[in-house]
Amino acid sequence: MNKDAQMRAAINQKLIETGERERLKELLRAKLIECGWKDQLKAHCKEVIKEKGLEHVTVDDLVAEITPKGRETGFTMLRRLVLNSQGQAVLLPQPSRLLRL
Amino acid sequence: MPELSSGQRVGRESGRFLRCCGLTTTPPSPCVQPCCRPLCYEQSERRLHKSLQMKMEEMSLSGLDNSKLEAIAQEIYADLVEDSCLGFCFEVHRAVKCGYFFLDDTDPDSMKDFEIVDQPGLDIFGQVFNQWKSKECVCPNCSRSIAASRFAPHLEKCLGMGRNSSRIANRRIANSNNMNKSESDQEDNDDINDNDWSYGSEKKAKKRKSDKNPNSPRRSKSLKHKNGELSNSDPFKYNNSTGISYETLGPEELRSLLTTQCGVISEHTKKMCTRSLRCPQHTDEQRRTVRIYFLGPSAVLPEVESSLDNDSFDMTDSQALISRLQWDGSSDLSPSDSGSSKTSENQGWGLGTNSSESRKTKKKKSHLSLVGTASGLGSNKKKKPKPPAPPTPSIYDDIN
Repeated sequence: MNKDAQMRAAINQKLIETGERERLKELLRAKLIECGWKDQLKAHCKEVIKEKGLEHVTVDDLVAEITPKGRETGFTMLRRLVLNSQGQAVLLPQPSRLLRL
Repeated sequence: MPELSSGQRVGRESGRFLRCCGLTTTPPSPCVQPCCRPLCYEQSERRLHKSLQMKMEEMSLSGLDNSKLEAIAQEIYADLVEDSCLGFCFEVHRAVKCGYFFLDDTDPDSMKDFEIVDQPGLDIFGQVFNQWKSKECVCPNCSRSIAASRFAPHLEKCLGMGRNSSRIANRRIANSNNMNKSESDQEDNDDINDNDWSYGSEKKAKKRKSDKNPNSPRRSKSLKHKNGELSNSDPFKYNNSTGISYETLGPEELRSLLTTQCGVISEHTKKMCTRSLRCPQHTDEQRRTVRIYFLGPSAVLPEVESSLDNDSFDMTDSQALISRLQWDGSSDLSPSDSGSSKTSENQGWGLGTNSSESRKTKKKKSHLSLVGTASGLGSNKKKKPKPPAPPTPSIYDDIN
């Protein structure tokens, strides 16, 4: 819905404006490294590169190969990270909390 | 925007500098000073809420329910993850192109070499526990089979080159010397008897002790290395007790010593007393005896009231000197033994006789026999034995 899209855009903008988005991104990266997501992805990269040959790797290739996998695993990690905060300390803010007034 | 992997990020987002926690407290303006507090999520969350709150106040959120909010949040997170992936791709690509992507890998050969070992009885490096305990080595010196862990100390003692081994050896020699001293003295005396009179050569014939450890107890034993050296400190240095071993002293030393010290020779240690001339342990008689013994009948006690007549003893004087110098210190001449008889015997007539007798036999019994004969001749303690003096040398000439 337009309103939703508007809403989303507005929120995004606000996030960027206040710098929260950057901070959240940093936080997320740190968490992903901690839980090993990056190493998994690196192993996958190595395989891709060995396949493609070291000399001929391009950014597009890498992006095309890695991003889907990365997104998937990232999401799983994220859900785990967020869900871990059942009763205890919040690792990543739950969506409701994030947007809660 | 490419991600930097450092913790601190400096970026520019809509006119603001972001550093550390990056938040500014004033409204957006390009020249604002960024705050330098460390990244704090709670603060950022609070600020996010505030900003969202403000925003949502603008737009009516009544239509939004929880699920929608959650969906929006999920989308935001997805974007973030995708950004991270992209950033990661850039990193990898750069690493590949610069050639450092595979640097942290090891080649498969090394991997096989250093693989973790998981067998019973071995550690993860494949080494056997306690391997060196049971191993035995053959000592090259004594050809014995020694346990490996005990090999080094054994070798040290076997070769006699370590610090401990020399200490132990020295101590052992010192102890054995203590026990064997009387016998060794006799042998030494025999050697001395065979020599002609030469104070120096006799000393040289002894084993030189200059290579001994100065700190070992051995040092206290008879050190006959200095010939005629007038150093009073040396005897002191070499003796643990308070006495002096008169064997080592030359005639000049003795003389100087006897003028300053008691000098009475103790029976059990065979050393001269180093106390003052008036030391209470010994009588004046003993002191005089010693002086006469060492310096000949012509010796005068430094503090003595009476004086001996020395005229008649010229003949025996040189004899006395000779024999005295050849004397190697025995138990015969301990005044504390038989005080009066000794003094009497020493007084008159030939030290040479005394020493020659003792030279031959070296035992107390002979001494006593001599004493017996001496007491027969010598009568008084302090009287001048002038009358018996002349005949006595003739009597004992045969013995000499």
